[in-house]
Amino acid sequence: MNLSRRSFLRSSAAVSAASIAGSFASRAWAASDTVAIASLHDLSGPFDIYGAPSHLCMKIAVEEINAAGGLLGKKIDLKIYDAQSDINRYPQYAQKALLNDRCVMLQGAMTGAAREATRPIMRRYKVPFFYGSLYEGGLCEKNSFCVNTGGNQQVVPLLEWSFQNIGKKLYYIASDYNAPRNFGIWNHVVAKREGGEVLAEDYYPLDVTDFTAAIAKIQAAKPDIVHSCLVGGPAMAFYRQWAAAGMLKKIPIISIVFGAGNEHEVLAPEESDGVVVAYNYFQELDTPKNQEFLAKLDASVGKARPYINGDAFGGYSGVMLWAEAVKRAGSFEREAVTAAFESGIRWEGPAGVMTTDGPTHNTTQDVHIITVKNRVWSLIQKKGQIPPDTYGGRCNVFTNPNQTDFLMP
Amino acid sequence: MDQFVILCFAVVNSIALLALISLGLAVIFGMMRVINFAHGEFIMLGGYATVIANHAGVNLWLSMFVVSPMVVGLIGAVAERLIIRRLYGHLVTTMLATWGLSLFLIGAVTAIFGNTTLGVSAPLGNITIGAYSIGAYQLFLIAVTALLVVCSLLALHWTKYGLIARAAMQNAEMAATLGVDCDRVYATTFIIGAATSGLAGALLAPISGVLPHMGAAYVARAFVTVISGGGALITGFLSAATILGPVEALLSYFATPVVGQASLLLLAVIILRLFPTGVSSLWTGGR
Repeated sequence: MNLSRRSFLRSSAAVSAASIAGSFASRAWAASDTVAIASLHDLSGPFDIYGAPSHLCMKIAVEEINAAGGLLGKKIDLKIYDAQSDINRYPQYAQKALLNDRCVMLQGAMTGAAREATRPIMRRYKVPFFYGSLYEGGLCEKNSFCVNTGGNQQVVPLLEWSFQNIGKKLYYIASDYNAPRNFGIWNHVVAKREGGEVLAEDYYPLDVTDFTAAIAKIQAAKPDIVHSCLVGGPAMAFYRQWAAAGMLKKIPIISIVFGAGNEHEVLAPEESDGVVVAYNYFQELDTPKNQEFLAKLDASVGKARPYINGDAFGGYSGVMLWAEAVKRAGSFEREAVTAAFESGIRWEGPAGVMTTDGPTHNTTQDVHIITVKNRVWSLIQKKGQIPPDTYGGRCNVFTNPNQTDFLMP
Repeated sequence: MDQFVILCFAVVNSIALLALISLGLAVIFGMMRVINFAHGEFIMLGGYATVIANHAGVNLWLSMFVVSPMVVGLIGAVAERLIIRRLYGHLVTTMLATWGLSLFLIGAVTAIFGNTTLGVSAPLGNITIGAYSIGAYQLFLIAVTALLVVCSLLALHWTKYGLIARAAMQNAEMAATLGVDCDRVYATTFIIGAATSGLAGALLAPISGVLPHMGAAYVARAFVTVISGGGALITGFLSAATILGPVEALLSYFATPVVGQASLLLLAVIILRLFPTGVSSLWTGGR
């Protein structure tokens, strides 16, 4: 064997360097008895009304997994990053979570902008990104896993119900950024299918607090339904002024985001009673699994915790579905976890059965149409096991593994 | 016909809201040349004072017209004593200091009350005009704003204190020579400005709710209004509000809200290009 001492040293050094680097890059958990996952949410600033409850749900999921002995013999270490409602922090903390803290999964980045800032970082460092927020649908990326509802699972059932039970003429009022505008596209899709009509759509900047002109415009259009996708604290002024003008009792409001910022608790009952929304989860859901979940929450953080709404719930279901995928894969590696997720993980939780869908990387789930009275939500109708939209076959990570762009209906 | 009435209402409402959020700033910035970046937070504190007093069982009107101005006036007094007093005449330094104050107040309120606070709902019910209905409280808001503006005008021009205050602002040295305690006049004026902002926040609370960071929605608009108004204290910002408000309201109605907001800013730019010292230079001669 013709092997000089020098070349042997060179190659063996390279091999050991590579193996050390490799173990640091992706197998830091292999030797340790804990494995880190990342919670990247707005825990302060204006958007913490969305971030804090979702983070809380992740925390409860991790506590539950650890109490049951952990995953693959390891305890889960939840690393917490507060993005402070500042979009610049998302890529920054995502890098820290992946490179410095060696997290094997990251969840959070709930707003559309935060998600878009975080996804590319996750792709670059090859760590699965779990997205727990409700959204407009159409994220069909190999490295992303959407566990909450997409547009067809939330807007579509809500609009179908409204067109059938309230009236045909709809007025859309929304905040002016990507998600509400994309949701706006769904209005037209469903209206066309159900014989409804979208009278107008108005988009308001996030800091507007005077809706006098908006309300006059809606009154002039005389719709049967007002569909609101107003997001954030300042926009809650709309509901106050709508009720002050005596409109709440005249034209029903439907929404897919009302309650996600716990609007129903901040607003007085006379400003919110009768609003109809659709979510996968709501806290009043009467199932034994939900009672267990709420008992754990109360035991962990006390009774003075925030209300857990359908948007925040993704923090819990995301971690649990990831954990099921890890168990099935027998590994924390991205490829193995992805394959397990794609094989269809079935998990029964507080919001009923949820099943991950391979080609779309989204999740089949129940959706509940609910209405609020005196700050308490009650069920109107349950739509069972709605699969994610395939966008006419375009949403398929098997045939389009390099797909990263958003799809539109 | 009823559409015309409702449009008039929207226009007047828009003017009144601009005037209401600008009044306190007109006193502090217009008179004293203190760039108060914490103006929005004074409004926010006024809102919180009303909401908290009301939840504690105090009558809503009492909370608005007494508790809020007193609380915010007191906070203004402390801020003046500790920060502003040391920085009179240093425009840029006051800017930084009041910005710091603004961040501190947001942080303090978030730490104490958290990020979600229950509001109070608007009293007085609603009024139907043809096919439309409007909140009676908003009409009340317009009336109170008008009253506040008239009172401020009277106070400035017909009372002894108004005379002394104007003198101290125009020529502090001369006023001091004549025996006026300028430091005291400054302090009082600042407190009145703060209290007025507090009252504005209190009045807005039922229709806009309270949030720690809500000041950001008001501070820029208040500055745009006061600066476009220029030298004449009350008539200045009032005329600016009367020009800017209708444009925003009508364009929000007939075009889109974004166009409405953008045209407000564009119009302010045009005003300042034509009248660099504000519209009121038309009748004050650029003073």
